[in-house]
Amino acid sequence: MIYLDTAATSLQKPPEVSRAVISAMARCASPGRGGHQPATAAADLVFRCREVLAEFFHVPSPEQVVLTMNATHGLNIAIRHLVGPGTRVAVSGYEHNAVMRPLHDVGARVEILRAPPFDTAGMLTAFASALDRADVCVCTHVSNVFGNILPVGEIAALCRERGIPFILDASQSAGVLPVDFSSLGAAYIAMPGHKGLLGPQGTGVLLCGGVPDWLMSGGTGMDSRSASMPDYLPERLEPGTQNVPGAAGLMAGVNFLRRKGLGKVAAHERSLIRLLARQVDGWAGGRALFSCNGQEQAGVLSVLHPRLDCEEVAAALGRNGVCVRGGLHCAPQAHITAGDVERGSVRFSVGPWTTAAEIRQTGEIYRKVVTKL
Amino acid sequence: MTSALLLCRSLTYAQRTSRVLEQSGISAYLQRAPQGITRRGCGYCVRIREANLTTALEVLRKQNLRPDGAYVWGEDGSLRGVPVP
Repeated sequence: MIYLDTAATSLQKPPEVSRAVISAMARCASPGRGGHQPATAAADLVFRCREVLAEFFHVPSPEQVVLTMNATHGLNIAIRHLVGPGTRVAVSGYEHNAVMRPLHDVGARVEILRAPPFDTAGMLTAFASALDRADVCVCTHVSNVFGNILPVGEIAALCRERGIPFILDASQSAGVLPVDFSSLGAAYIAMPGHKGLLGPQGTGVLLCGGVPDWLMSGGTGMDSRSASMPDYLPERLEPGTQNVPGAAGLMAGVNFLRRKGLGKVAAHERSLIRLLARQVDGWAGGRALFSCNGQEQAGVLSVLHPRLDCEEVAAALGRNGVCVRGGLHCAPQAHITAGDVERGSVRFSVGPWTTAAEIRQTGEIYRKVVTKL
Repeated sequence: MTSALLLCRSLTYAQRTSRVLEQSGISAYLQRAPQGITRRGCGYCVRIREANLTTALEVLRKQNLRPDGAYVWGEDGSLRGVPVP
């Protein structure tokens, strides 16, 4: 089996991740719910996870690191704090439904800024103009459909100049590209723990520059006499028993990346994507969208087929042991931007464990599959 | 050896407090706060040696960490609040 769906979740993790999960299940109770040793061990583990994440993403204090269920959870908290009915929000034309649906729910006035995939300058120009009439900016770092890297450092700087809160969706970049909370000056950065950070499913992180309202209320183990949630982070956003094994696995994943180095991960994934593009582009009329210089693309590649159904191609690849995803990838705006919303795409996404041999084998299988369909 | 308690507003704040004190060479132990001092219900505090209290509060002040209260045991065994600068 060749797994090329890391943009959905990383299936292959460092062995220390599962070891950490199992160890936490065996020895940790509920953090903040007692003073006995298993509860203290759980609290210590969760705190160390926050410390590791704060250091990795350059967050001033571990209290600003909120552990969530996934990136969607964090984005909902951030968006609902800063956006209300009629708020003018500038977004890129590559946003996932994890951004677009909460904005729709709260009644925001959304301006979608479009530029073709890998047209970084065009995207920046569109933001520079639109931010003059925006109250909030939400932007993904890397498109989950095409892998194009958006100029979020420059967009964040434009937001700072104008005093506009900036929310970054780092779902596809965390664990692959540098994400610096302090230098971006972001209001919030949301990310999953289970993709590039190599943690278990059901983990996510919200880096907070403010103190938002909660989505759920309940017990925090503190201030029990108060009928309302505490006014401090992270407990304000973390009611109920936490995912301690998840935090253990997430910390192990991030520590692996710290040892390996993000630069190596990114270079590896870029080289694989360039190789893959050469393997699959042009077959059966399919067009692979890739960055010519390779620097504007992370580990995601989409192929557009004018004739074949992308779901049929993905299913055929699956029957031949290649795990990819077809469809709109929960990001219809990205497909509208690229002009393929009616047909969707076949998406390949690589990870630290993907090998060049697997990519070549995928190319052979792909060429056989699409010429037969 | 008598102890002092530094009452913290949250578990995470108490963990940070404990970490900063340990890094400054002051032994610090995280524990549940006695109900008699929490006022708002359950909470956490950091236990240190009473002899280290003044130094600990100064270390925390420099790190912008302010406990919600500091307590020492009186001769009658009850906890007595001491001013936090």
